[in-house]
Amino acid sequence: MTKVHVVGVGMTRFGKHPDSDSTDLGAAAFLEAIQDAGIDPRVIESAYVGHVFQGMVTGQRILAQVGLAGLPLANVENACSSGATAIREASLAIRAGENDVVVAIGTEHLTSKFSGALTPDPSDPEAAVGATMPGVYAMRATRYMNDFGMTREQLALIPVKNKANAARNPLAHFRKEITVEDVLQSRPIADPLRLHDCSPVTDGAAAVILMNDKAAKKYANGRGVRLAASTLRSGSVDVEPTTMTFEPLTWATAQEAYEKAGIGPDEVDFAEVHDCFSIAEVLRVEGLGLFESGSYPWAVERGEADINGRLPINPSGGLLGKGHPLGGTGVAQVVELVRQLRGEAGDRQIEGAKVGLAHCRGGKAVGIEGAACTVQILMR
Amino acid sequence: MTTTMTGVSFRPGELEVRPDGTGNLLGSRCRSCGAHFFPIREACAGCLSQDLETVKFSTEGVLYTHTIVRQSTPQFETPYALGYVDFPEGVRIMGQLSSIEFDNIEVGMPMELSLEPFGTDDEGNELTGYRFRPAEETS
Repeated sequence: MTKVHVVGVGMTRFGKHPDSDSTDLGAAAFLEAIQDAGIDPRVIESAYVGHVFQGMVTGQRILAQVGLAGLPLANVENACSSGATAIREASLAIRAGENDVVVAIGTEHLTSKFSGALTPDPSDPEAAVGATMPGVYAMRATRYMNDFGMTREQLALIPVKNKANAARNPLAHFRKEITVEDVLQSRPIADPLRLHDCSPVTDGAAAVILMNDKAAKKYANGRGVRLAASTLRSGSVDVEPTTMTFEPLTWATAQEAYEKAGIGPDEVDFAEVHDCFSIAEVLRVEGLGLFESGSYPWAVERGEADINGRLPINPSGGLLGKGHPLGGTGVAQVVELVRQLRGEAGDRQIEGAKVGLAHCRGGKAVGIEGAACTVQILMR
Repeated sequence: MTTTMTGVSFRPGELEVRPDGTGNLLGSRCRSCGAHFFPIREACAGCLSQDLETVKFSTEGVLYTHTIVRQSTPQFETPYALGYVDFPEGVRIMGQLSSIEFDNIEVGMPMELSLEPFGTDDEGNELTGYRFRPAEETS
């Protein structure tokens, strides 16, 4: 079976884009990816486009914008994992031998669709009693503090780290470093979480062009990065309540990815993980097996997750710093992995990185631990 | 004790409110393996049996975790306390917390079901919903 290679990447600035929409943003990211790949756009055979709140046929609008209407295209919705799911679907089209060159795009113009706290779908029994996404993660933080003794100050070190990374990322939503004091003084959202613990409402898009071995040999010019694994799982129903301080869904999705890539978690050099909230980063990296359960806040304190640390986490700034345009997020994570692995990450470059991991988790439904979870492993 | 509260359940599939003012949260029990689920399911996630019966859950449980929600949708007036309660049947159910000062809420507290006014329907009729409140001391 052919391997899958990421050959071209593109990404808009993440932030507020009052003068454009999700079609414009998607088209801009796509055109940059085509240019980065150095290909004639006519070699692209199919497209997968991830978005959440952008309405019907957003993907077709993007293709029409860049003159490529007519390609087979599927719009993909999987909550905050929509973009990452688009990449997985694109990689499957290649692995199945159906296509040689496929584009995956993620886009969201969130500021025009939504403000305030994201909630589960209104039909959900938990939404009906007042569940909000910050509230759900706040409850996990409460329990993690109860079980492991993490302090509020330790938790604040995560947004401090990620916003420091974002300050080095010209495409990030936030470009200003913050202090622990800034986090603790920010507006309370759902105790113990405050505004700086929450990812912002962001507009943005990203695109990646995937190729099989044959196409990569022809077009990559040594700039291809191998997508060694792209796994997707849905949360299962709890037969009995389990701990909320560890993520079996993240664990299972990651274990499958490690097996497919033929590596263990100890071989991962850096990771972009779904830090929609500060506590989420803790749960992600422990669920991924990158840090022991109950240990990450102390590792962050020691600087292990910094760009120059033992295992850098969210060098792009993550969702907290770079921003979180739902559909765009998973694709932008892979763009960051590719730029890091090519040595094109500028001021936030991790020296000598060879293996990068991206993790997304999205959605909430009653009785299941999480809805959609993806893990991608990229190798130089 | 459960508060007596007559009226129409805000979500009859999940909360039964009886004419005598008592009520219970509803879910499924698998007749094959005994697992319980909230809300009602079509098949058992443990053994995939479709032989499920609807059951009323106990009205007392233990608070697993909690938060104070300070930003929400327009449907809910903030701030409000929210928590997950573990029930003896082996289900964990989310609900707002009532009859307690925010600062006094603690992981592990015994809680009980409380039927309370919970919004209105499209015609403006008051609906009965549920919250969890600290369980009354028993001997």
